[in-house]
Amino acid sequence: MQEATFAALADLALSKTGQYISPSKSYLVETRLSSILRREGFASCDDLVACMKARPNPIFETEVTAALQTHQTSFFRCRDDLGRLVSDVIPHKLKRSKAGRLKVLCAGVSTGQEAYSLAILLNEHAQALRGARIDITATDICKQSLTTARAGTYGHFDIQHGLSVHRLLQHFTQLETGQWQASEELRRGIGFRQHNLLDEDAPLGQFDIILCRHVLSGMSKSMRQRAAELLTAKMASESVIILGHGETLTGVTSWLEPSRRHRGAWMYVPEGQRKVA
Amino acid sequence: MKTCLIVDDSRVVRKVAGRIVANLDFQIQEAVDGADALAKCRELMPDVILLDWNMPVMNGLDFLRAVRREKDGATPKIVFCSTETDRDHITEALRSGADEFVMKPFDSDILQSKFAEVGLV
Repeated sequence: MQEATFAALADLALSKTGQYISPSKSYLVETRLSSILRREGFASCDDLVACMKARPNPIFETEVTAALQTHQTSFFRCRDDLGRLVSDVIPHKLKRSKAGRLKVLCAGVSTGQEAYSLAILLNEHAQALRGARIDITATDICKQSLTTARAGTYGHFDIQHGLSVHRLLQHFTQLETGQWQASEELRRGIGFRQHNLLDEDAPLGQFDIILCRHVLSGMSKSMRQRAAELLTAKMASESVIILGHGETLTGVTSWLEPSRRHRGAWMYVPEGQRKVA
Repeated sequence: MKTCLIVDDSRVVRKVAGRIVANLDFQIQEAVDGADALAKCRELMPDVILLDWNMPVMNGLDFLRAVRREKDGATPKIVFCSTETDRDHITEALRSGADEFVMKPFDSDILQSKFAEVGLV
């Protein structure tokens, strides 16, 4: 791949999704675009970029951008953090909710394992949560990933990453193809939506808890700041954003600060109380 | 150091699994079938057993039932590892005393994840 081709694709990913792709990771670009190259009959990424320049097509550009994203995910990623969410954060938020109802946003869920993991935990804690209504909205920029997520159908390798065999048997059905599909109850409990974290206008609504784990860390610092600040517009009063293990917004934005009550959670800081980032 | 007994009649599977599990800080022992594995367990009960289903002499399921009847046989975590991946086989393995089930083929992430499920890593 020519340097100019890599630069064009890296610029596209950065401007559309905030994702920073280091030149040392150019091999990733070729791998991630391989299915589009094959399908469209391009011999190389150079041909793909030349075609995109000659005949601009916003829909195709969006597809290429989505394909450049990392789709790495698994069930119960950083399971202790997810466990704390269900045993600590959600019960605390429910106590403060007059309606006994919470709205949770799982941002950047790729093929949906994060959202299904949460739905499984909520199912397992249903008694302790006393029938509270918890709505899960799960978003990703990639239409193809969301198709998999909505179907809740996973192959041999994906289904085994992070999921115990007991949960597999309890919450999934084996299809004739050998794949495993999430139960109808789990699928019905999650609303999947295509959404770009950098899109200011998308009307997703407001949420009591936002899970945005291992999403912002792939972005450049300025885009991470923009995405985090845009997420604050989706925060209901007293809501929190949960980041991935080891992820931080310290030094990135002054709009959010670590919660004193919930480890790994970040709270909105009103204007006038913000320290310089 | 914890010990892992890898029971499989395929030398390749024993080597591949052995390398992955050794990287998780386990001392590896190997057995070529259920009877060989039972003899090794009677000498020293391992902390975990990674167990194939279809093997000559004594298959995985017969070994599983036999080892659970041994003194200290309830101690090891037993992770079935098989190409028999339909719901009925998996259910039978669990009912017979397995703690986890790995569907072959597997990779290092899957083995690590399954060992984590049974509290070994």
